[in-house]
Amino acid sequence: MSQPSALSTNGLSRRKFMAGTVSAAAAAPLLASRAEAATPVAAEPKLRQPVVTSLRINEQPYELSLDTRTSLLDALRDHAGLTGTKKGCDHGQCGACTVLVDGKRVLSCLSFAVMNEGKDITTVEGLASSDGKLHPMQQAFIDHDAFQCGYCTPGQILSAIGCVNEGHAESENDIREYMSGNICRCAAYPNIVAAILQARDETKGA
Amino acid sequence: MDAAAPRPKENMGEPLPRVDARLKVTGQAHYPADLPIANIAYGALATSSIAKGKVTKLRLDDARAVPGLLDIVTYGDMDKVDKPKFGNSGATSIGPLHDRTIFHDGQIVALAVAETFEAAEEAARLIRAEYEEEKPTATFDSPGTATIPAAGKSPLFKEDVKAGDFDAAYADAAVKIDQRYSTPTQHHNPIELFSTTAFWEGDQLTVHEPSQNVTGWKVELARQLKIDPAKVRIVSPFIGGAFGSKGPMTPRTAIVAVAAKRLGRPVRCVTSRMQAFGTQTYRAETRHRIRIGAGRDGHITAFAHEGWEVTSRPDPYVVGGTSATGRMYDYGSVLTHVSLVQADRNTPGYMRSPPETPYVYALENAMDEMAVALGMDPVEFRRINEPKTEPIGKKPFSSRSLIRCYDEAAEAFGWAKRDPKIGAMRDGEWLVGMGCATAIYPTAVAPCAARVRLTVDGDVRLQCGSHEIGTGVRTVAGQMASERLGVSIDRISVEMGDSSLPPAPVSGGSISTASVCSAVLMACDAIRTKLYAAATAEGGPLAGSHNEELELAGGKIVAKSGASAKVEDVLKAMQVGAIEEYAEFAPKGATPDALKKLYAGTPEFHGGDQDEDSVKYAFGAEFVEVRINRHTREIRVPRIVGAFAAGRIMNTRTARSQLMGGMIWGIGQALQEATEIDRRYARYVNRDLQDYLVPVNADIKDLQVILVPEVDPAVNPAGVKGLGELGNVGTAAAVASAVYHATGKRIRDLPIRIEQLLV
Ligand code: FES
Ligand code: FES
Repeated sequence: MSQPSALSTNGLSRRKFMAGTVSAAAAAPLLASRAEAATPVAAEPKLRQPVVTSLRINEQPYELSLDTRTSLLDALRDHAGLTGTKKGCDHGQCGACTVLVDGKRVLSCLSFAVMNEGKDITTVEGLASSDGKLHPMQQAFIDHDAFQCGYCTPGQILSAIGCVNEGHAESENDIREYMSGNICRCAAYPNIVAAILQARDETKGA
Repeated sequence: MDAAAPRPKENMGEPLPRVDARLKVTGQAHYPADLPIANIAYGALATSSIAKGKVTKLRLDDARAVPGLLDIVTYGDMDKVDKPKFGNSGATSIGPLHDRTIFHDGQIVALAVAETFEAAEEAARLIRAEYEEEKPTATFDSPGTATIPAAGKSPLFKEDVKAGDFDAAYADAAVKIDQRYSTPTQHHNPIELFSTTAFWEGDQLTVHEPSQNVTGWKVELARQLKIDPAKVRIVSPFIGGAFGSKGPMTPRTAIVAVAAKRLGRPVRCVTSRMQAFGTQTYRAETRHRIRIGAGRDGHITAFAHEGWEVTSRPDPYVVGGTSATGRMYDYGSVLTHVSLVQADRNTPGYMRSPPETPYVYALENAMDEMAVALGMDPVEFRRINEPKTEPIGKKPFSSRSLIRCYDEAAEAFGWAKRDPKIGAMRDGEWLVGMGCATAIYPTAVAPCAARVRLTVDGDVRLQCGSHEIGTGVRTVAGQMASERLGVSIDRISVEMGDSSLPPAPVSGGSISTASVCSAVLMACDAIRTKLYAAATAEGGPLAGSHNEELELAGGKIVAKSGASAKVEDVLKAMQVGAIEEYAEFAPKGATPDALKKLYAGTPEFHGGDQDEDSVKYAFGAEFVEVRINRHTREIRVPRIVGAFAAGRIMNTRTARSQLMGGMIWGIGQALQEATEIDRRYARYVNRDLQDYLVPVNADIKDLQVILVPEVDPAVNPAGVKGLGELGNVGTAAAVASAVYHATGKRIRDLPIRIEQLLV
């Protein structure tokens, strides 16, 4: 067992970062600050030696202090505060965690965060333009009701963009095959295929 | 018009896009494990590796040495709180940390809490249990099962229905079958993992957890923790698929709440996919024996359905689908009996169409066999046996559009082109088969409360503690308010999934749309009444008009005469900034305690087979084409058509999506889904999404949903029959029927796999 490290969650402290994320998130206003206020500040946690990792996510630089075992998925969700990327299995079996790394679709649960230093990561939060205009694939998913619960949806959308860019969306059969790594338990499959057909050409240009 | 948004027919609402669609495609829909919470600690479960026995010792030293470990909650630590209860909101009576007895494989033995997810996982894996092990009983036919009658074991299953003299009628029948069928263990496997996040602010507890029953959980969790329910809040704004799995609360919730209390910090525990197989509920395996007797003219004279269902040792979970199968056709005589078979397993629970999925599968597979025995077209066979009243209590159906569903689906499918000869239809190396089956689901409704506020600016705020599990209930509730208040849907905000909102019943039994929309309707109509009273009062802009002549549209009250008044002006004249109404809906036949029970989290269900005046069901007909490779016996389902009638359709888009999802579930149940059990250890083997097979995109090709118009004012004020669970009933039997048509092989045990077709 390695020595407990004196280095805490340094760099960008996770706690501070999360508080910052929360104040910007309308969904849970005040939640963090209240919970934090109610809690005595804990002693500095003893962790396995953390590694400061630089990631470029949705064109923004992030410095995260991470356990080397942290998956890219958990780094996004628990450390960068980007919870749009979902965990459905943590084993590379469902596709919910799909993100784009340097433009290619990747299962973020199967990739250690530290392996992604210097790479360009795109998550669902980075798809719409800054004026709020949706990516054509996002709009197509709405138009074709390509989800029900919505949990698999961020992964489906990123995977769909990857699928188009790979050139694997030329026929309906191709789309079905190359989108089969993304399980939708609500079973919106026919609608997902229709959405990808609608957004295909615009996505290629995007 | 595009397939996802069918053009509304009679008694159907517009296919508006979901009100939360934008949140869902941008990653802004916050599921319970997504909500950012400061200073959070992470929990990981350690679970048993045996199915029966006792934990004699728990070794925690290695786990405690993990850097970042904060706490371990285990035996003794839950002594001050009460054990879970089975039934209503509770998944099981097993309090895993109250007792060192192990009732099933994968039972929780400890919760490790640490600064990081990685440290918590590492610590949980280092917890070592020592056991006094006994030989467990796995399932049917394992030594040590106990078989007991199911009737009366659950408030939802009171009796074994019967009618007439089955024995005599069956003995006399000219044509008969006597067959056995089975369905396997299945796990819901919603894509969202099960999780609990708990934090305390003083004595106030907040739990973020995906739930189909926030009110019921609030009350049950408060009972376990021995605190006032007013001090507990369950938050579940978005649920990543449920299918029944998030209806009953499992023991994990209280354990995480206790961990958060001990630590004085928020704790989040996300259960792994593998652990969920043992710590959540599931659909237990079932067996069936069906006997049908008929005259040569095809009229059924005798029907018997016996069912056997596995459950855990301590909890008598029953599905008992004979109530529906016993009422399906004009049988003459009916005999049913359901038994529970107790084994050393975790307690099962409801999963999408709990009674109907297995029982109607068996019935409809038998109906197809009977049609073959009679040399009759299977659609014609059902037509001949269409009942005027249900055979058990001789009550009328409030509405029944089954034959119309068959006609419309058969037409769209091209059933007339089917060559009935076995194996006659081929396409190159593919054997083609076509089959059909009936879908049925009881139409129930429960009490529900809602609060609606209309402001002078024309905005509407709708609050109801129901649950958006993907059904679109948020959208259809908004649509109901939009219609009744004449306000466009984008001015309506809908809040759901929080126990601090007006209570709604559990989102199970396909009751949500009917119950929620009935409450929203009441609240909106109370607002209308106030507006109309003000507008038609002496000196008001529409003085002299009667309420029946008025409509609300486009922010105005419009009279038949053409005169109108802006809602804004009416509110100003009333000198109010908003009208807010709190409505409590109780269905016809509700007991005097019905609303009290709603607040207590134990709502009563009405409808289905429970009412005096009529029985209430939604129906559908499904047709499938299968293709079976001559050489490899690979089975594909390239085409499926379903026609369904379910009273008023609030939104054709969300209705179609639910039915479509159900039909695809049905294909999965026919060909893929099964949790395999290692009989030696009573252990689930394929505990992940690689080996627990569910349909993927490539499994589905041409799928058509037909919404058949139906008007049924008797079911509830909204006129709505639930359809979230209708679509996957019958599908597996239609597939079995098509496989028989293609190959001449009658498969009676699900799932139908290549190996069954090779022998
Ligand atoms: S969470 Fe990564 S594939 Fe399922
Ligand atoms: S939308 Fe629910 S899993 Fe795909």
